[in-house]
Amino acid sequence: MPKRKSAAINRRDFLAAMAVYNAYCDRVPVYIIGGNIMDATKRVPPVEWAHSVQDAAAMLRDYTKWDDLPVSLTHFAESAVRAYKIAMTPPMMPVLLIVDAELQENPISSDTKMHIPSLNPASPPQGDSGSVAEAARLLVAAENPVLVFDRAARTPAGLALLIELAETLQAAVIDRAGRMNFPSRHPLNQTERGREELANADVILGLELNDFWGTIHSYRDQMERTSQPITRPDTKLIGISAATLFFKSNYQNFQRYPELDLDIAGDAEATLPSLIESVKSQLAANRKSALQDRGALLTAAHQRTLQANREAATYAWDASPISTARLCAEIWAQIKGEDWSLVSTSGFVSRWPEKLWTIDKHYQVIGYSGGYGIGYGAPAAVGAALANRAHGRLSVNIQCDGDLMYGPGVLWTAAHHRIPLLSIMHNNRAYHQEVMQVQIMADRHSRGVERAKIGTAIDDPGIDYSKLAQSMGLYAEGPISDPKELAPALQRAIAVVKRGEPALLDVHTQPR
Amino acid sequence: MKTYKFFGDLVKWFAARTRRAGLASSLRVIGFGAFMAAATVCIVVLAVLPGAAQTAAGGQQANRAASGNAENGRVVFEKQGCNKCHGAQGEGVGAPGSTGGVPRIASTALALPAFVQLVRSPKGQMPPFGSQKISDAELADVYAFLRALAPPDKQESTAPKSTKRGERLFNAYGCYECHGYQGQGSTQTGGTRLGPPKIPLSAFVSYVRAPTGQMPPYTAKAISSEDLAEMFAFLQSIPQPAPAKSIPLLNQ
Repeated sequence: MPKRKSAAINRRDFLAAMAVYNAYCDRVPVYIIGGNIMDATKRVPPVEWAHSVQDAAAMLRDYTKWDDLPVSLTHFAESAVRAYKIAMTPPMMPVLLIVDAELQENPISSDTKMHIPSLNPASPPQGDSGSVAEAARLLVAAENPVLVFDRAARTPAGLALLIELAETLQAAVIDRAGRMNFPSRHPLNQTERGREELANADVILGLELNDFWGTIHSYRDQMERTSQPITRPDTKLIGISAATLFFKSNYQNFQRYPELDLDIAGDAEATLPSLIESVKSQLAANRKSALQDRGALLTAAHQRTLQANREAATYAWDASPISTARLCAEIWAQIKGEDWSLVSTSGFVSRWPEKLWTIDKHYQVIGYSGGYGIGYGAPAAVGAALANRAHGRLSVNIQCDGDLMYGPGVLWTAAHHRIPLLSIMHNNRAYHQEVMQVQIMADRHSRGVERAKIGTAIDDPGIDYSKLAQSMGLYAEGPISDPKELAPALQRAIAVVKRGEPALLDVHTQPR
Repeated sequence: MKTYKFFGDLVKWFAARTRRAGLASSLRVIGFGAFMAAATVCIVVLAVLPGAAQTAAGGQQANRAASGNAENGRVVFEKQGCNKCHGAQGEGVGAPGSTGGVPRIASTALALPAFVQLVRSPKGQMPPFGSQKISDAELADVYAFLRALAPPDKQESTAPKSTKRGERLFNAYGCYECHGYQGQGSTQTGGTRLGPPKIPLSAFVSYVRAPTGQMPPYTAKAISSEDLAEMFAFLQSIPQPAPAKSIPLLNQ
């Protein structure tokens, strides 16, 4: 009977395909082992026939870095070590091994000779030294260099290196937030006024920048789709990315072709030490005064932006449904004294955490899904909270309602495994990305604009997420639509999470 | 008197030159010399008296305004996007200052030179419009257009008094999707902050019909101007928020 378990893994591959694609786009190493039954005479009818295939890896091959189908135990041992090594070498991506039910479950005969090879990780690829020196020369000579970080900091050391590079150059930083790259309150952080900096830049360095073209162009998504460059025609563009080393054809997540002046193939974090050293060696003493002046201007601009963000947050401050700015300000008031970690993406709440919170530790942001797959949020939050549990961190998840409905069972997983996680529902009662798109199309035809919510709104009946969570064993409250009720509710829920359990608050919010 | 004597001499000099050239009869030569003398007087006086020069230039512009083409002025007004802030009728909104607002510019009380000066070097948030962007002649046309518009006390407000329907329409048409239920805007959707509005109703309607950003255009068939006026009234009813410094949560 155990064969049924292994065969069923194919079904899970179907279910998990979007999660694998997200990980592939997001350069996340995921080690996947799938099952199959190749020998037709060994399949129990009828279910195992329905769940068996000739090429089990085919459905994921377009968005995994490598897969294999080992046919012996020694073959499996080699492939298992190889798979790990491939996944962990930048650019990191998911790998897949298909292990046939016969190989999984047949007894091992006593005379079988097996060898498990040792694992010697490959060193990450570094940028060519000549190109790195040239990049440093351009950056040092630049009047307005701009650094754009995306999936740049893979480790805590990477975060420190990015800060060192920015401070050495006194350069403006734009954080595209694929990883926790740069502190939100660092005076060189110019993310919120990034377009202005890009327009003035004479040199732009993109580190593991997923969409370089999209960073330096504006794109108007209207009846007629148009674009134009943000940058000056003479701006020098430098890219350092391991993504340059690996491309697949079918899925187009590699984005539009950027015309770089210097395209350095290599892992950004691994290349940073030599880049910083080269910058320091080329930085003449007489440039330091100019750099200080530049830093002072950027610091002043950063302060102005912070103040503008605070003023922007005042609009709809007392509104019901609750504004995303108010929601995030209320959360911050309750967690700022804790060792916290935001385990959800902030794009759906207009990046208010980055605008209002002090984010400076490598584990305080987890980036975004990568492939923009809906249903990523809740399981990613539970996974990150599981990782944070060992460190005693308070995991905070601002959870979109539509996203949760793709896999609400993960709440039970959190309760079952006693994973401490504070989930605050960003319950805006619609798949808003879709509402906006339908609205544009309705408008294009000048009819039915007011019916754009059909099929996209999550109402009639509205979902009671506190009851949903309670049914799966979580502490939950809500719905909360008065902003004044948020603070005490957050305090009660945090007390539960600090005891080691998940809790959920259902909050009725504005769309974004 | 000394200057006058100098020009008298100049007349004689011109007369002598033209006689030598044999170009015209003595009568006609005297006439030409007199014209040149008068012109030279003007040039010299203008050069030594800047105030007089301005007056003369103002006179030229005033003359242009008198003959300015108001109809072309309307076209230029829209082409340059003046209507997007000041409104199709230059009606403005609110009081400019800390609470926002755009000044009424119809029908302008400024003289044309002051109007041109203000457009070239504006104060506040208005961007400067240099001569490469809009010529003096075009500005004179715009000036004529604005002068032809009704003064403030003769214009009637088109804004409805009730805001309930406007709020309902704002939600029904899905404006809140990008702009928020109170028009607070969102950096993520790109929806501009709308409430309370800083542009007049006609500019609001113009923008909805032909937006420049990510917003799709809404034709009159999709949303009527009457409905837009109702929504505008709702947005106008949204109070200006308290400053951030008065909110403890925004000073953490």
